[in-house]
Amino acid sequence: MAEAPLELAERALAGVRSGDGAQATVSSERSLLLRFARSRPTQATGIEDLTVEITVVRDGHVAGASTNRTDDDGLAACARAAERAAAAAAGGGERDRAPGPYPGLPAPTPVRAHAGHDGETAFLAPARGGAALEAAFAAAAAHGTEAHGVWTAAETEVAIASTSGVAVSDLLTDAFMKVTAIAPGGRSGYAASAATDSKALDGHGLAERAALKAAFGGQGAEPAHLPPGEYPVVLEPLAVGELLGWLGHLSLNGLAVAEGRSALSGRLGQRVAAPRINLSDSPRYPGTLPRAFDLEGVPKAPLPLIQDGVARGVVHDRRSASLAGNGAESTAHALAPGGAPEGPEPTNLVLVGGGAADEAELCRPIERGVYVTRLWYTNAVRPKETLLTGVTRDGTFLIEDGEVTRPLADLRFTDGVLGVLERTQELSAQPVLTSEGEFYGRRFATGTVCPALRVDGLRFTG
Amino acid sequence: MDAAAERCDYADARIVHSHEESISTRNGHVDELDRHEAHGAGIRVRYGGGWGFVATRELTRAGLEAALARALEVAEAQPGAAATPLTAEPPASGRYDGPCERDPFEVPTEEKLETLLAADEAMRGQAAVAITSAHFQAWSEQRLFASTEGALCEQRTVDCGGGIAAVAVSDGETQVRSYPASFRGDVARAGYEHFAALDLVRHAPRVAEEAVALLTAPACPAERTTLILDGQQLALQVHESIGHAIELDRVLGLEASYAGTSFLSPEDAGMRRYGSPLMQVSADATAPGGLGTFGWDDEGVAARRVEIVRDGILRGFLSSRESAAEVGLERSGGCMRSSGFDRQPVVRMTNVNLEPGDAGSLDDLVAATERGVLMETNRSWSIDSRRLHFQFATEVAWEVVDGERRRMLRNPSYAGVTPEFWAGLDAVCSAPEWRLWGVVNCGKGEPGQLMRVSHGTAPARFRDVAVGVA
Repeated sequence: MAEAPLELAERALAGVRSGDGAQATVSSERSLLLRFARSRPTQATGIEDLTVEITVVRDGHVAGASTNRTDDDGLAACARAAERAAAAAAGGGERDRAPGPYPGLPAPTPVRAHAGHDGETAFLAPARGGAALEAAFAAAAAHGTEAHGVWTAAETEVAIASTSGVAVSDLLTDAFMKVTAIAPGGRSGYAASAATDSKALDGHGLAERAALKAAFGGQGAEPAHLPPGEYPVVLEPLAVGELLGWLGHLSLNGLAVAEGRSALSGRLGQRVAAPRINLSDSPRYPGTLPRAFDLEGVPKAPLPLIQDGVARGVVHDRRSASLAGNGAESTAHALAPGGAPEGPEPTNLVLVGGGAADEAELCRPIERGVYVTRLWYTNAVRPKETLLTGVTRDGTFLIEDGEVTRPLADLRFTDGVLGVLERTQELSAQPVLTSEGEFYGRRFATGTVCPALRVDGLRFTG
Repeated sequence: MDAAAERCDYADARIVHSHEESISTRNGHVDELDRHEAHGAGIRVRYGGGWGFVATRELTRAGLEAALARALEVAEAQPGAAATPLTAEPPASGRYDGPCERDPFEVPTEEKLETLLAADEAMRGQAAVAITSAHFQAWSEQRLFASTEGALCEQRTVDCGGGIAAVAVSDGETQVRSYPASFRGDVARAGYEHFAALDLVRHAPRVAEEAVALLTAPACPAERTTLILDGQQLALQVHESIGHAIELDRVLGLEASYAGTSFLSPEDAGMRRYGSPLMQVSADATAPGGLGTFGWDDEGVAARRVEIVRDGILRGFLSSRESAAEVGLERSGGCMRSSGFDRQPVVRMTNVNLEPGDAGSLDDLVAATERGVLMETNRSWSIDSRRLHFQFATEVAWEVVDGERRRMLRNPSYAGVTPEFWAGLDAVCSAPEWRLWGVVNCGKGEPGQLMRVSHGTAPARFRDVAVGVA
């Protein structure tokens, strides 16, 4: 029987001989990803791999090494590399360097289970993915479009063992499908779905939604061009999730707050958004991709971030909490053992829904505005202002007299996320899980649960 | 490969052993000191019209055969599609070793830390400087490639580099300056000698002073004017508005679901004006020191130089064996690259270079400019999915008046449309100003892959550009 990730972590930890403390983290991945374009399969990738990361603490400094070799020699070499790294970080044998800012490994705390694993999904049956592709191709063709996209599912596990007594593991499944439907004239539409159960991925339904957008107004309809300016907008959940993800990265990051780089530095307790904005990090919220603990083994728990428009909290790992002082503690948002260099980030953002039944109801009060399906290539222009730029993509439409009337050419926006939340007038009732399904490095699926928004003005710059 | 040849139309396998080291300091402390090692095999098979790829760390015969069986299962489970041809290529054979005078993984960690901590300290002292950081990065890769067509080749490459940054903070402002490039510095396909030659300590005081000066500098005004770009920002401009646009998989619509498509079409080669007649661009996988320089790509195609733009006219694309065959090319451009054993190759940039011109030095170019803005060091980038409409921000700018560099300007930005912007190119500095700039975070593919590529550029001038747009 194969060695369990937690057993492997404990075996790796046992090989560490020096330092003030150590943590062994095992991240395993079994995944299958099927890509398609022009309504035919293009690439299929199956991965079976794991990473053993050994982190050693020495005199307030943290350093580490990782490997995917799990034989005793491989683990021993990894442990020696981590020990040497920690010794070098601490200033060598003389310990002549000032102590580092790391407050030490956390003590063990019980973690709560969650329902984020589906046994059938973990089987990673290629046939299930193949059937989803077939269904998507058929639905796209029915509307005269071609389907492009991805179907993917994975089983991942994170296990942590530390010299402070932490011994935890978290077994998860995640599944994601997206379809970009492209009409012969080049117009496109998009739909995506993420869940812990791959049965929830409806290839036909996603392709149908995407194709209806691509074909909106008829195949020959040319998109209208809108001059730059500020327009009322309805943002679908995917676009909202993108903006909230940036807010988490730039502003809700406790390290950025402590260093004065965040828009929320010195603003906790102040109004930063419209009163109807309620944002939290909720690791077990219905529909989210749950997590039991962070990469320091600290148990996850719901955390209010913005309540009734007032900034209430930011996320911390052990290091950022120590730097922040004033009694701050880890909120279980470490992205790496010892804390990531960029600081902590939310992984389970939830924006509570509002009073509008759906996107159509959000459009109703708008005389002339823009309907946005999703945003693309967003990037921070001035992080402290939460100023982003990016473009709309795969379904941008003109709203006239309360209804979506015709397709628009994609637009560039340049605006602040907090400004968008300040100008939010209404939210749709039902938040949904949004994810970009980007899996760089070892797979770590995250998503934001959020509704659609009506915003009284988004600045389009081109 | 013998086992695979009997069971599919084509198969290839890569066994990759990679090492990575990242060291960073932050405000005088060691902030990051990590070594990563990974080894494994990626097996790619073609069955009918479908591809299957499986990655495994089990390098035993049983492990590799299980991966092959799974790759075949995955390929067969997908909806049927007509097989497309691959260009004919001679089977790769032999060994390639990239340049490396001093192996960075053999350099004592203490020696690297000494440089980083000295540079970090040299940026501190002014109250407004809130964060100082210094970075070292190194990668090494050993790749063994074999295919059912008889290819068998091995290559080892080493990449190394680093940089520094200072962040200055005041009540409403955060400004950053970095050297020699933003986002952890500059990396080359070279050994530790590249990092040592950056001379981070010498540049540190200037970097900190400029970060502080930016806090109170006037904002870059919004206007249409002449724009001069330094080499690093121009490298990213080339990357985003040329490099990605000429990837043939994008042009053919095969990356529409993630990276996007392109405003170009296959028929544009030889016909379409990309920019001004001064524009000469090549994709050169043989350029010494480039992060896109290798012996063979990950389909076993020998490294080559491909002409992309000549005298402003589009000439070629970045291609693979499959995409090249689809548009009727006889040879692949040799651009199939993967980030590791657990990712299958996709069409990638090699070293997409803007050739030098005859405008002399950067000082000469400024002296020859009546009025405009000089922008330096990328801070932010964004471009649409067809690679047409872009917007960039840089760390710093200076106004240029009557041939002189005058006031520093904060929050500089500019925007444009790719062919119009490149049509405005009217001067490129000469060969002594030309160098390769590394980009280590080029994202593409699903599951995502970060690729290291380089771009050779010299500072250049563009007319009638919208600046101060953000």
